[in-house]
This record gives sequence, C-alpha cells and structure tokens, in this order.
Amino acid sequence: MNEALVVVVRGVISYFSLLIFARILGKEQISQLTFFDYILGITIGSIASEVTVDLSSRAWPHWVGLATWAVLAYLMEMITLRWRYAAKFFEGEPTIVIMNGKIMEKVLKKMKFRITDILELLRNQGIFDVNEVDYAIIEPNGSLSVLKKPENLPLTPKDMNIKVTPTGISTELIYDGKLIEENLRQMNKDKKWLMDQLKKQGIKDISEVFLFTLNDAGSQYIDKYKDNMKKVKDIGDYKGPF
Amino acid sequence: MRKFIVAAIPIAALVLFIVIMISGSFLKKPFGTDDDVTKSIENVMKDVNEEAWDKAVVEVDELESAWRKVIKRIQFSEERDEINFLTSNIVRLRGAVTSKDKSDSLMELNDAYSHWKELGK
Repeated sequence: MNEALVVVVRGVISYFSLLIFARILGKEQISQLTFFDYILGITIGSIASEVTVDLSSRAWPHWVGLATWAVLAYLMEMITLRWRYAAKFFEGEPTIVIMNGKIMEKVLKKMKFRITDILELLRNQGIFDVNEVDYAIIEPNGSLSVLKKPENLPLTPKDMNIKVTPTGISTELIYDGKLIEENLRQMNKDKKWLMDQLKKQGIKDISEVFLFTLNDAGSQYIDKYKDNMKKVKDIGDYKGPF
Repeated sequence: MRKFIVAAIPIAALVLFIVIMISGSFLKKPFGTDDDVTKSIENVMKDVNEEAWDKAVVEVDELESAWRKVIKRIQFSEERDEINFLTSNIVRLRGAVTSKDKSDSLMELNDAYSHWKELGK
C-alpha cells in the first residue's frame, strides 16, 4: 500500500468536494457569518481533513459525514431564506443595545455582552464618546451598527443643497498591459479614444500601462509600469529580512 | 451549453469521487487468473488440511502475489488497518506452513478470510 499516493488521491477528493460544497452553500463572507456558521465551517473543514489523512478508516464514511453536514447547512439556509420565523430562531435577530442614547443594561446582560465590549465596538467605528450615539444595534453576526445623533452625523451635499453627479463604478479598460475590449465597448468608447487619452499622458503603447480605469462620470485613473519615483518611502518600523 | 457544463463538471466530479470511494467491493473481485484471493485462500486451506506442506508453500506464494495485485486496486477505498492485517496474516501463514504447524496455519487462514470478507463492505 502506497500511503502517500492514497493521501494524494484522498486529498484531491476532499479538496474538490469541499470546494463544490462551499460554492453550493453560498457566498457569505467570513465577516457575515454567525457564530454557528463559523463552527459549521470549522467542523466541515475538520471532516475534510479526516477524509484526506485518516487512513485508518475508509474515506467513504467520512465523505458521507462531510456531505451530510453540507446538505444540512444548505437545507437550513433554504429554510431560513424562505421562512422568516425560522431565520429568527436559528440565526437570531438584531438587538438594540443603545436606544435614544441610553444603554439597555438588561439587553446587554441577556446578550452576554459587557459594556466594555460595546465601547470597544464603538471605538472600532471611530466613536470615542457614547454621547454621539443615538442607536446601537448588535447584529446576528456580532458586529455593531451605529446611528449617530443627528448633530453628529457628517455633512452631506444634500444638506448643503449641492447638486452632484453620480460617479458610477470604475471599470478596468487596461489591466496588466492588456486592453479589455469588452469593458471598452460597455463604456461606449473605442480604441481611438483610448489611444488619445493615453497620448495626453505621454503614453505611446497600451503595454506601458498597468491599470487604466474609467467611471461613468469620465474620471480616469492611469498607472504606468514606469513610476519614475526617485525615492521610495519605507514604512517599516524595524529592520527585517527584506 | 455553458450553464450545462458549469453544472455538469461538479456533478461528474462528485460521481467520480463516490465511485472511487465505494469501488472496493468491485475491485477486490478477480480480473484474471492470478489475482483470485478467495480461491488462493481456499487452495491453501485444502493443502493445510491434507498436510501437503510443499504444495501449501507454493500456494501461499500465489496468495501473496494475488493479494499484492488486489492491494494496488483497493488501496484508495479501503482502510489501511484492514489491508495491513491481511498482509500480516499472510506473512504469519508462511511461517506456520513452513514449520508445518496445522493449527496456526488454519488460524491465520480463517483470520485472513474474515479480513478479506470485511474489505469492500
């Protein structure tokens, strides 16, 4: 029995099984995971590692365990998507911990949060004075959403009655010295226009450009391979191997 | 077509993985004349019962050779311990047959047969 070869084959099986299951389970980011989702991910990963290296038992029962957890996770996802009552039960719900500037002590106790945790989460959002907070809500994933009191909210163009045009999303037209023609067409531009823009920047060929983006408002960002920086700043605070 | 391929590739991959993982019961079956472990065990058992020790030694060689061929096929689906136990049984069987020990030979043969039956279950 060639153990290394068996581990390679079993590794390929568990890696791609995990990849397929993860793709089916959805696109939630780590930051959006609830505590249970986090444990679920660890458990599924742990079973996948057993499929790979636990040669003292067959791969099949471990794989069935992996598939069972993935199917249950998918079913729960479907149930919570379609049935709001179940979502409330399984995933929890947002809880107000500061209302009208007042801390809800009983709620904090129920949520097993200390006031120091709330203050830390507020500081993470750049709020160092609780007086600034109107509402604070603990989301099911444990993060804190904050609504500041109106007098502490940032000034917006709307407050000043200033008309602004939407900028839209920047689209890459050149990346890594290559033209992305599909995006150029999408932005209703042609190659001649692009070359004119490059010429204005003293660029003769597309291959000189690392990144060229354009947004709906017409704002361009052009980065050349040649940066012509005489002195590059080093932000390292101590000497390392590089 | 693209949507079909996107769905078909993961499904085909999962099916292939399942086939590899449960293929043991099929792959342990003989594909030729020199990889029939069941028949080899029965032959050695017959020789031991008749105390035909010279013939039994040759049959043990054949059993070992057949088993080595089967290991290569079933190693991806079966557990390592079960494979190692059967290998040890054959090694001990060789010793028992060489020393013409009937009871030890029958013990190892029966143990080997029970491990063989467990494979692919």
